[in-house]
Amino acid sequence: MTEAMTAPLPIVQPLQQLGDPTAAACEGDFCAIPEHHSQAVVNRKLDDDAV
Amino acid sequence: MNEPIKVDIWSDVQCPWCYIGKRKFEAGAAAFGGEVEVEYHSFELAPDTPVDFAGSPLDYLAERKGIDPAQAQQMIERVTSIAASVGLDYDYDHVHQTNTVISHELIHFAKSKGRQLEMKERLLKAYFVNGEHVGRIPDLVEIATELGFDRVEVTDALESHRFLSDVKADVALAQEYGIQGVPFFVIDGKYGVSGAQEAETFANVLTQVQSERTESTKDSE
Repeated sequence: MTEAMTAPLPIVQPLQQLGDPTAAACEGDFCAIPEHHSQAVVNRKLDDDAV
Repeated sequence: MNEPIKVDIWSDVQCPWCYIGKRKFEAGAAAFGGEVEVEYHSFELAPDTPVDFAGSPLDYLAERKGIDPAQAQQMIERVTSIAASVGLDYDYDHVHQTNTVISHELIHFAKSKGRQLEMKERLLKAYFVNGEHVGRIPDLVEIATELGFDRVEVTDALESHRFLSDVKADVALAQEYGIQGVPFFVIDGKYGVSGAQEAETFANVLTQVQSERTESTKDSE
């Protein structure tokens, strides 16, 4: 993976959205935690015998 | 030989999913295996935050979002646990909530020297892992100097806000794309991937772009 030295395209094209639309992101000053992430943490704690 | 796939990433220094997403993207790019060119762009999640916010992220969530402190603590613990799953040791007890605009200026300064990726990683680590302040010029100058940048040149760049217009241009471009949350990945100028997706997702999108290019080349021959 290398560092790009070029500026982004000046003409903005509509983007085709790919990937999981519920993936974790921060919007405004709030960073939500999707449900499946919460469950993953609980599962990990169960695996670690921490619950 | 294939041209590298360009990935433009909008991200903020104090965005926990951006650091986690960075690790997942890096894993996805490694799994993809082809040439990838990355350029980070500034995104300010909370531009009205004071540089010297008096309080912890927990206080911030409680005061700004009205979230119950116990619930806020639970949220922080969850994010910390998810960060740990990708090898990041978040230390929220020592995080300095702040305004990140000058840290974005520093990333643009580093970009002007061809060292943007290094600075981006260092500032995320400074904020989430090291408990360093990323909003004040003297603290940022120390970080830059540690990386080998010229102290006088960095100080001048940050005090004059020479790169502020670049930060604002990135934010404006994000608005043009309709980006509302970060991290946000624009891949090859045509695909948008939002959030801290799984590494496999990034690898699949990169593979798809590569395949489309190959098909396009065949069609034009």
